[in-house]
Amino acid sequence: MIQNAHAASSRPWVAETEPPFLRIQKVTKKFGDFTAVDEVSLDIYRGELFCLLGGSGCGKSTLLRMLAGFEAPSEGRIEIDGQDMAGIPPYERPTNMMFQSYALFPHMTVERNIAYGLLREGVKRDEAMSRVADILKLVQMTQFARRKPHQLSGGQRQRVALARALVKRPKVLLLDEPLGALDKKLREETQFELLKIQETLGITFIVVTHDQEEAMTLSTRIGVMDEGQIVQVGEPAEIYEHPSSRFVADFVGSVNLFEGRISVDEKDRLEIDSAEMGGTIHVGHSTSCTLDQKVWYALRPEKVRLDREEPVGEANRARGMVEEVLYLGGQSIYKIKLDSGKSVKATKPNLLRHEDDAISWDEPAWISWGDTAGVVLTR
Amino acid sequence: MATLIERVPPMRWTAGLLRRLGLHGRGLVIAVPFLWLLVFFLVPFLVVGKISVSEALIARPPYAPLLEWDGWRLNIIVNIENFRYLWTDSLYINAYFFSIQVAFVSAVIALLIGYPMAYFIARSPEPRRTFLLMMVILPFWTSFLLRVYAWQGFLRSNGVINNTLISMGIIDTPIQMLQTNFAVYLGIVYTYLPFMILPLYANLVKLEESLLEASADLGGRPMATFFYVTLPLSLPGIIGGFMLVFIPAIGEFVIPELLGGPDTLMIGRVLWNEFFSNRDWPVASAVAIAMLVAVVVPIMILRSLQARLTEEK
Ligand SMILES: Nc1ncnc2c1ncn2[C@@H]1O[C@H](COP(=O)(O)OP(=O)(O)OP(=O)(O)O)[C@@H](O)[C@H]1O
Ligand SMILES: [Mg+2]
Repeated sequence: MIQNAHAASSRPWVAETEPPFLRIQKVTKKFGDFTAVDEVSLDIYRGELFCLLGGSGCGKSTLLRMLAGFEAPSEGRIEIDGQDMAGIPPYERPTNMMFQSYALFPHMTVERNIAYGLLREGVKRDEAMSRVADILKLVQMTQFARRKPHQLSGGQRQRVALARALVKRPKVLLLDEPLGALDKKLREETQFELLKIQETLGITFIVVTHDQEEAMTLSTRIGVMDEGQIVQVGEPAEIYEHPSSRFVADFVGSVNLFEGRISVDEKDRLEIDSAEMGGTIHVGHSTSCTLDQKVWYALRPEKVRLDREEPVGEANRARGMVEEVLYLGGQSIYKIKLDSGKSVKATKPNLLRHEDDAISWDEPAWISWGDTAGVVLTR
Repeated sequence: MATLIERVPPMRWTAGLLRRLGLHGRGLVIAVPFLWLLVFFLVPFLVVGKISVSEALIARPPYAPLLEWDGWRLNIIVNIENFRYLWTDSLYINAYFFSIQVAFVSAVIALLIGYPMAYFIARSPEPRRTFLLMMVILPFWTSFLLRVYAWQGFLRSNGVINNTLISMGIIDTPIQMLQTNFAVYLGIVYTYLPFMILPLYANLVKLEESLLEASADLGGRPMATFFYVTLPLSLPGIIGGFMLVFIPAIGEFVIPELLGGPDTLMIGRVLWNEFFSNRDWPVASAVAIAMLVAVVVPIMILRSLQARLTEEK
């Protein structure tokens, strides 16, 4: 079902070959009457790079801060490597955090910032300095060892913050929007470096982000959050191709949603009558739903075919008018207004450098898709 | 020049004149306090300087003029005898050192008391923080003199403290507190504490919570976090508060006069006696100038230290 190169042994969440390394059980955090984190349960395995994805204010940072020990859960239990974390202060937890604002000590050099955690742990000065030198090499910051944070660029500071959190080899590394302050190019480079480092050291990473592309690139699994709750947990491809709700489908990538009612419900086949789309939708799989139930059909723009000629068959197709064409270089986005009045997005890769006969705006066109192109959502 | 005036309307002309004097925008804003200091600080200072090198006379004013026109030429009479006199009489040197000692010890005590208070206020949630800050500033609403007198009422042999202790049966005979050095330290620390707290507060309130969290996260226990993060980052505030207490305390006159004993000889008191009891204006002026020099040196050292620390951040 899920197309993924990982072997089952590297996916303990599928085969349950080992116990979870970090367990979050029904954790709730209230600030006064306001519930920032609402009964979150999550199991994370050793060596994972888990992304917490969600919109602003949905409680990602609060959840992370509870793992680090800056905030105590109002209810629920957090367990790391079999140990209950209740009442354990941050300085005794096997976690390290990379802060959204980096929080580098402004009065210390890069070297001393990184050595700080080791010295507090009681590591001898010589050993600490050699470990600092190693980690500086890993993040390619050796020549900046003697600088103060204010003498560094944003990207360099971010590397120092990462090095400072990594040098203690924590059991769990918590990263709160680690790449938020970087420009797109630097961000992509750093994402790969982060992956490389994580693979080299084998530390469990929990990364908070509100950038879905970042979550897709980095993670072994993604937990999507909304209003303090985890709404879906899964591998990137699973989240993208099998979203469990309209919120997830819409939050992760772009999607077309057609409202409709189930008109045929067979063993491995569904039909949906959609007035919004202006026709019938055939679905090549079944979902737990009943006849005449209100559902939504989620269709990703890249799975929509766009043609001038009328496609064969009588389902999974609609006619419309091209309203807008957005050229993005690698691909173009078409906005089509269907005869039913609904606007639909379709993307097309730009395979040729110049296409004379390309469909352009104000042209009538047909959209169509296969039986397995979309998902039926009941929420 | 005439053509220039014709071409420029009058308003612009004054602005132009100011500009040609190098005064515009920011310069003008700085010029006003600058002039103020010139008229009300530098000029009196020069007058005092002048008197300090004059000879004392029993006359009105009680000193000889600096410039004398004897019909043929202008004589400038500079008399450095007054400054030499300061060195020869141990009274002045002792008073200097004692003043510096009192000011230093008071500033240290004020720091030890003020730091936890400033820290607590800076870490308090918003409505309470403003309230506490108000409480710190509140004593300024009554006269400083009145508050020092009030301390007399507390410290006297039949004052509030002694009476309470006797009625509780803890002591039989009153403790001598008024007219001791203890009372002077107490008075100075009490009076100048807000000047310690305010700059410390201003510094500590800017201290980012995330730095303290980062320290804890990296294994720093509360004490380590304080000594390695909070304290070094608040050094500019410490120096600022220290200067604001130390400097005025050196020349303090009212507190040693009202609370100190006859042997509490601080330089401010010596100065007062010289001016008003002895009416030896030249020596008094020499004392004032010497005190200024003695104070300026430590200030400059502290200032440059503070500047270096702020720059580093
Ligand atoms: N100390 C606090 N007191 C009261 N409310 C808080 C506190 N900390 C967070 N909140 C609230 O909890 C909610 C979740 O905050 P949180 O910082 O976890 O969001 P987030 O998902 O990290 O958002 P962002 O992506 O913007 O960083 C927000 O509505 C916030 O206002
Ligand atoms: Mg956040």
